[in-house]
Amino acid sequence: MTANWKNIARKTGIRMILLTFIVLLSSVVYERFLWKRDLEKEAPMLLDLIEMQDTARIIYFGESSNFSFNPEKDSLTDRISDFISYYYPEIPFGTLNHSAYHAGIYKPVIRSIPESSSIETVIVTLNLRTLDQAAIHSELETALQKMAVMYEPRPPLLNRILMTLNQYDDKSYVERDREMWEQWTYDTLRSDEVDFPYPTIRKWCEATKFPLPDGTEDMAKRELADHYIKAYAFFINENNPRISDLDDIVEICNDKGLNLVFHLLSENIEFADSLVGDNLVWLIKRNRDYLTERYSKKGVLVVDNLTTVPGWDFTDQNWTTEHYGEFGRQLVARNVADSLRKWYPDAYVSQRIIRSSTPD
Amino acid sequence: MHFNSVAFLIFLPVVIILYYLIPHRFRWLLLLASSYFFYGFWKIEFLTLIVFSTVIDYSLSRRIALLEPGLKKKALLITSITANLGVLFLFKYLVLFLPSIEMMHLNVFAAQNPMQGELLHVLYYSIPVGISFYTFQTMSYTIDVYFGRVKPADHLGKFAVFVSFFPQLVAGPIERYAHLNPQLKARHIPTYENFSNAFRLMLYGFFVKVCIADNLAPMVDQVFAAPGSFSNWNVIAGTVGFGFQIYADFAGYTLIAQGAALCLGINLMDNFKTPYLSRSISEFWKRWHISLSTWFRDYLYIPLGGNRVAISRWSLNIFIVFVLSGFWHGANWTFLIWGGIHGLIYLLERIVGRYINWSGSASSFIRSLAGVKTFFFVTVAWVFFRIDKLEDAEIIFREALFGNGKELLSLSPPIVVLITLFLISDIWLYNKRFDRAISRWPMAARWLLYASLLFAILTLGGHINHPFIYFQF
Repeated sequence: MTANWKNIARKTGIRMILLTFIVLLSSVVYERFLWKRDLEKEAPMLLDLIEMQDTARIIYFGESSNFSFNPEKDSLTDRISDFISYYYPEIPFGTLNHSAYHAGIYKPVIRSIPESSSIETVIVTLNLRTLDQAAIHSELETALQKMAVMYEPRPPLLNRILMTLNQYDDKSYVERDREMWEQWTYDTLRSDEVDFPYPTIRKWCEATKFPLPDGTEDMAKRELADHYIKAYAFFINENNPRISDLDDIVEICNDKGLNLVFHLLSENIEFADSLVGDNLVWLIKRNRDYLTERYSKKGVLVVDNLTTVPGWDFTDQNWTTEHYGEFGRQLVARNVADSLRKWYPDAYVSQRIIRSSTPD
Repeated sequence: MHFNSVAFLIFLPVVIILYYLIPHRFRWLLLLASSYFFYGFWKIEFLTLIVFSTVIDYSLSRRIALLEPGLKKKALLITSITANLGVLFLFKYLVLFLPSIEMMHLNVFAAQNPMQGELLHVLYYSIPVGISFYTFQTMSYTIDVYFGRVKPADHLGKFAVFVSFFPQLVAGPIERYAHLNPQLKARHIPTYENFSNAFRLMLYGFFVKVCIADNLAPMVDQVFAAPGSFSNWNVIAGTVGFGFQIYADFAGYTLIAQGAALCLGINLMDNFKTPYLSRSISEFWKRWHISLSTWFRDYLYIPLGGNRVAISRWSLNIFIVFVLSGFWHGANWTFLIWGGIHGLIYLLERIVGRYINWSGSASSFIRSLAGVKTFFFVTVAWVFFRIDKLEDAEIIFREALFGNGKELLSLSPPIVVLITLFLISDIWLYNKRFDRAISRWPMAARWLLYASLLFAILTLGGHINHPFIYFQF
């Protein structure tokens, strides 16, 4: 080493130690005074987790499906997770809720549950549509991935700087949209099990027509059918990024010794059937079977609520949302609560289902 | 690769260490490989455009240098300029002449026609990063060779380093061959002074980018997305905010670029000198994006006749230069108008300047007034720079005057403090460069500043992904 290098190394070495000290001090100050403010904006679920991690024994991870979206019609506006908790009045129950979240975002939050936590059981909402191309390539994904950085169980300052340096999947809306269209066009709708009549989503959409008596086409209906096909027409397989997220969740829960429940949400299959037909329904059910079989084998308690909510109780009658009326929310909650008896048989208290709303 | 990324924070030290470890004769190869890697990190396909520009200018300039002045020499120069501008036109300006296509429709089309779809995607949505910067840099070289100001490069690889030198490849400063090439060729030894100054420049550059520009960006985006939702004062704040956002964004980039280059022993030219303290548009352009304004001065304004022509012709020249410098930024009429406003104000100032003296000898009140006037016009012009469609300008100006929306812009107190400190430091840095300005400070004061800047970067940086604004140009 030349004298020049030695000189640089000596001077730089001292300064690097000083800089390291500054970073460590920054870390302490950040965690003490600024971290929570950032969590409020960027990772609110972690704040909720911190609040309940030493008291709650069961945690429900939910998204918008948890809520009532029709308060005028619903006499009860309790969330699904609230209804579940009523079955176990003696067990501290917590809800971690955020619209549009999916397994990829729940994953780092679950990873953040400390070893010393009182949490024993984790219920993860499993929305079938979060596995479709539109959700995987959604424009919301960049914001969600950024949040995921803050949820990772790492030193808070490290998460903060990784977020500043955009260290997450930060594709633009243009790129995501394009990937989505490519998959709709090229990804073949087939599996080893069946030779599907439509080779791609695109071909399926093109073949789905709604002629009117006057020779024109019911375009509104066609657009809706397009939307339903794009939402549900896919074969879940191991390459789906959500599957790897769900697999990771299983692994994390196993490592942490947590009981895991996947709560598969209801879809309005009746409407999908009437609009697009039985091929779509077959696919939805096939995907349900894939998920239940895959995760049951891994020891996860999968609550299959796919067909639990009657079509009339969906809040959005003409759109693919998993928003249910009070009746539907109670039904799915009952099924989840029933499944929890496996771990809490003595704490279960039966509940009456109240049905104030009826089919229109 | 973005400067504000983990990849760059790993890439740069690796390049610096290798650079000083390997023998001098191989350094050009390392710089070329690392520059192409740096650029290819975005989209490797676009490297072909840099290679194309490099080969064209290298080979044509060598032939140009051999020829005596005459038609053939001129034809070769025109060929070089046409090739460079042709690439620029194809990838940046052709879209002006194509029908507007909504992204969804384009994606549907692209899904069916991958080849054409890819091309249209590039034309509409993914212009090769930094194309205007390196194109202008290579063009200046060929023109300089033509006029005998520099000798032609004698090594394609080393010339390729000049075209693609990674610190300034994607957003300048647009360097001249006579300034950069000797430095690239020189045998640099690592010095503590260089590393120290580079650290200062990069630290301040990161601060300015992530703490100022990236924290102003969401506020500005909000206002420009829905000006009708805000009161007029909020719209004005958003518009002024954009002026500081783009300054902090671009100046921050330049400081990091200068710091990165200095680690390799190379001094890049200054691109900004506290532009918002200018008292006239003419002064503003001596302080804002200096490498571009001097480019237009040397390669367009002077060849057009400079100020040695009749006043009417001179006025036209000025206007042309400003409009084209606006157009350099992109294929949108809004940039043209932005340049046009600057040109118009420049000319008006010259006329009014005959009657009002607001230069050095004027009273400080008049000079301050002139500064406010310049800032006002620059800010008005920024509106055209920021909007996507011309129609939006009317909405912004109307809401800035009469807007009574209920939404309120908000900046957290620590961010307000940072922005205030940035404004104070910018005034303090008048005609000074950050690294040199603080070198005279006592060590304790310097380290207190480093600690504050580092703390701000680590804990208060903006966190909505806003790539450097000038990358798109």
